[in-house]
Amino acid sequence: MDKGLRKALEGLMDPDIERRRRAMEPFVRGTFEMFIRYLYRYLGNEVECEDVLEDVYADIWENPQSLRNVANEGMLLKTVYLYYMRKRLREVYRRINRRLYLSQDDLKNLMAPESGILDMMSLAELKDVLNKALGRLKARERRAIRLWMDGMSNRAIANELRTTVGAVKMLKFRTILKLRKMLDDSCLQS
Amino acid sequence: MRDTNREIQELLADYAEALRDGSIPVFLKSLTKQEGQRMASSRDFWDSAEVARALNSAGFADKAVTPDVGLFISRVDAKIASRMKKARSSSRTRHNAAPKSFTKPQRTEKAL
Repeated sequence: MDKGLRKALEGLMDPDIERRRRAMEPFVRGTFEMFIRYLYRYLGNEVECEDVLEDVYADIWENPQSLRNVANEGMLLKTVYLYYMRKRLREVYRRINRRLYLSQDDLKNLMAPESGILDMMSLAELKDVLNKALGRLKARERRAIRLWMDGMSNRAIANELRTTVGAVKMLKFRTILKLRKMLDDSCLQS
Repeated sequence: MRDTNREIQELLADYAEALRDGSIPVFLKSLTKQEGQRMASSRDFWDSAEVARALNSAGFADKAVTPDVGLFISRVDAKIASRMKKARSSSRTRHNAAPKSFTKPQRTEKAL
């Protein structure tokens, strides 16, 4: 872990609240990008990510004890997700669940799930595993996923692949399930 | 997202697209009762949702515009200051509401 971040983490454990408040600045500087990219997985919206993260940092300041034994950045991200982010994510979606046809548990699993293997990987690890898995797909499947990852809509992908929107959705679904199996296998092997 | 009776593959595609575009609330509100039940009972959906999140992270998190940290730090500091203020005022209220000692002169019966 970066020396500055390590020092900021130590500062966060100070019993004096003013000193903890001062330690927040280097802590936020050292973690902001990592946390916001991680939250983006669940929210896909920068503004929403910022709002949630603001509460997460204030929660950390108020009760930093869960971070006491953090040894590296991976562990920091995991701990922050489990003890701070998940609670805030669930609050966001509890608010909009009043008129939905999903049970509270299903919504919780969709929006702030128990952490699976993929959820717990760092961005670099995830990219590495995904690239390997994408390389093993059929050309058409890989193209559909790549186009989607480039930001194209289903209709645009359908035009590109000369097929229908329904067929693209089915292709994406099957390919994602296939990827899931490959990722599970590679995680088991490693 | 306008179809009213989407199959699992369509629900997943719409979920993934909503995740990418930051419009999850719109996706959730578009779900009908049958679709909600279909999602809840489909193991494939939950498996693929995790991969969709991972793809979203690997593909788009880098493209997301990260806001100015300096500005964000001042927001966090303001939030902390407001929590400190709240904690102080609530502890003061608690202090004020604590039971007072009996300094009131006790009523004595008037002598006849």
